Amino acid sequence: MEPQGFLAIVLHTHLPFIRHPEHAEFLEERWLFEAITETYLPLLERFQRLANDGVPYRLTMSFTPTLLAMLSDGLLQARYLRHLEKLIELSEKEIERTRWMPPFHRLALLYHHRFTSARRLYVDGFHRNLIQPFRELSDRGYLEPIASCATHGFLPLMNEQRTAVRAQIHVGVQVFEQAFGKRPVGFWLPECGYHPGHDAFLKPFGIRYFLTDAHGILFGSPRPKYGVYAPAICPSGVAAFGRDLESSKSVWSAEAGYPGDVDYREFYRDIGYDLEYDYVRPYLNGDGSRLNTGIKYYRITGTTSDKQPYDPDRALDTASQHAGNFMCNREKQIAFLRTVMDRAPIVVSPYDAELFGHWWFEGPDWLEFLIRKVHFDQKTFQLITPSDYFQRYPINQQLEPSMSSWGNGGYNDVWLNGSNDWLYCHLHQMAERMTEQAKAHHQPDPLTHRALNQMARELLLAQSSDWAFILKTQTHTAYAYRRFRDHLARFTVLDDALRRQAIDEPWLAEREAADNLFPRLDYRIYAT
Amino acid sequence: MVKDPWWIFAYWEIQPKTERAARSQLLPEEIAGLQSVLRVYDVTGMDGSAQPAHGAFDIGLSGLATNWYIHTNAPHHAFVVEIGLLTSRGRFLPLARSNRVTTPRFGPSDVIDASWITTDEAYWKLFGASAGVGIGASPLAWSQVLAQQLFSGNWSSPSPVGPSRHSAVRGFWVRVNADLVIHGATEPRASVAIEGQPVAVRPDGTFSLRVALPAGTQTITIDVTAPDGRQTRTVTPVVTLAWAGSLTPETTTPKAQLHHPRPGSP
Repeated sequence: MEPQGFLAIVLHTHLPFIRHPEHAEFLEERWLFEAITETYLPLLERFQRLANDGVPYRLTMSFTPTLLAMLSDGLLQARYLRHLEKLIELSEKEIERTRWMPPFHRLALLYHHRFTSARRLYVDGFHRNLIQPFRELSDRGYLEPIASCATHGFLPLMNEQRTAVRAQIHVGVQVFEQAFGKRPVGFWLPECGYHPGHDAFLKPFGIRYFLTDAHGILFGSPRPKYGVYAPAICPSGVAAFGRDLESSKSVWSAEAGYPGDVDYREFYRDIGYDLEYDYVRPYLNGDGSRLNTGIKYYRITGTTSDKQPYDPDRALDTASQHAGNFMCNREKQIAFLRTVMDRAPIVVSPYDAELFGHWWFEGPDWLEFLIRKVHFDQKTFQLITPSDYFQRYPINQQLEPSMSSWGNGGYNDVWLNGSNDWLYCHLHQMAERMTEQAKAHHQPDPLTHRALNQMARELLLAQSSDWAFILKTQTHTAYAYRRFRDHLARFTVLDDALRRQAIDEPWLAEREAADNLFPRLDYRIYAT
Repeated sequence: MVKDPWWIFAYWEIQPKTERAARSQLLPEEIAGLQSVLRVYDVTGMDGSAQPAHGAFDIGLSGLATNWYIHTNAPHHAFVVEIGLLTSRGRFLPLARSNRVTTPRFGPSDVIDASWITTDEAYWKLFGASAGVGIGASPLAWSQVLAQQLFSGNWSSPSPVGPSRHSAVRGFWVRVNADLVIHGATEPRASVAIEGQPVAVRPDGTFSLRVALPAGTQTITIDVTAPDGRQTRTVTPVVTLAWAGSLTPETTTPKAQLHHPRPGSP
């Protein structure tokens, strides 16, 4: 029987480029390590298991070049393993320490098992390279990987610097091609940030679609006949798929969302904070501040600080029920949509991948349950990727989406407010200078060429939307400020050196070795 | 730059010589009462700057401002902003002119494509479904839908930044736990077992074990066997942990907040 509709789950993976070879250990590098242990490995393990069990599924995943660069970097791979070894050691001590506390002892064993399994998977299964298994899932037809901007630059606020917008996209596509061995069919606009006209920048790279938030389509013009439940063809011919808010809310909403369930693991109770200081000190960073180790023993319990021990069986059962609930709601939603639409709707549900596992510990299990249930327990809808939908419905309505983002407020507020607006006069000037320098150097000598490429790298790194976001949210602001200032300063040094024709080669080599991403970057993309 | 449908943002840097050049055009009597202003032009639907704008308004600048959030309150309009000097007689001397920005539409387009005809009713049905407010939400409620359902409580991107930790109940809170450390020393190659489980003996013969201590009485059997395996000593400390008092927070604490995992938000 033909399905009545389709569900497209899109997972967006991204981390800013954080690599500090100049320090033996670096707090913010842990963001990558935690994401590998808690999100990327659990997702890969489940995706492979589903494939090996013969469960058909289609998922879309976007990868930012900064994350791809970190996942394939030898130094960070070695540091990740060192981090994991320490966690395993801590979990061994915890097995000992909790021996008279059965509920905790069981959890200590569980964490030890997870960490040692992670090591086995990472070292023996994937040979430290997580891009390869994602690529295999793509080659086997389960995953549709899509590209994203070079450093997750927020494009609506870059609109006046066309070459900068184009360069973010160009490098994103280039890095994607290296990683996945093919051209990307889709593109994730960072933060779903769309500015009318930017679809035209995607067109030359063969991109067929991107994603926007719901109001990007709903407020598009002409008025969309099918709302967000069919793609909109932008003036350039590239399609936009709008986010479905109903399915998004059930996962994200603080009030009604699944991850807040009392049976799920409490994120904010970690032994890094709970246990005696000297005992956990060896597992903290250099400055000795307490931090999240990843070993957490409590469940959300309720609006109380009197948390109860986590029960993994109960949590798994709840995840299964929530997957069933999500599926059932999509069946109802699609049945309703069929009464207003004369074609099968596509419900697009994009999420940050790091929600699954890192924040919502049971998220990867929920996803696996959902995929199994969708296949075995119902016939109303199927999983699909946006590009699959074109094969069924090649003709779609033309309209221009409205400016939008999925950030709080729905527009540019998160990245443009009193805490971070000072970034933009620098960023815009840097982009203009980069274009000037690119146009001024047609046939540079090798050293000048390297300096120009490094200048482009510093610009791209300064453009990461993460710095503006962190300044806004007031967590880790010192780091965001430092990173922005460093990239701005290095960019300026290079710009001056080029104007004076006095490039400090040893200094340049040091910068190239530290920020070693985008090895194939060519500054000439800024000259067009 | 556009902030949202109602607000735009401008920043500037005026070279002193530009300002001097402008001031040199002033008549002596115009110096008094001279003010820096932003002049905001509504240029909706205009391509070049040749045509006069639909309208303009001025914002008086105070102090050493180098940027300004401008409340245009006009979704789906195009604006250009000039910064300049305004004399008390109303003469405006522009110093710099901005790029053009267009605020986004806030609400559905009035344009209907003849080949993709949709009725208001169908649009609102789909809109309600998209906004997650149940089936066939009333168009009358749409502004509320937008404000409450579509945007508020949305989330944005994230890094797995470990946010600072909260107590779920605000105010005064306490946690107390007890760990027991059993430690000792023997001959370096002796073996030690506590409650039947082997404990590592360090090269210098010392050993230690840390255990979380539950309430109640624990009888702990420690067996130490000599390196030759022939002699064993056993010691059995009995440890009792009892709690008096209560650390449970008072139930009258203000409305507790559920700390739901949400990337990036503390």
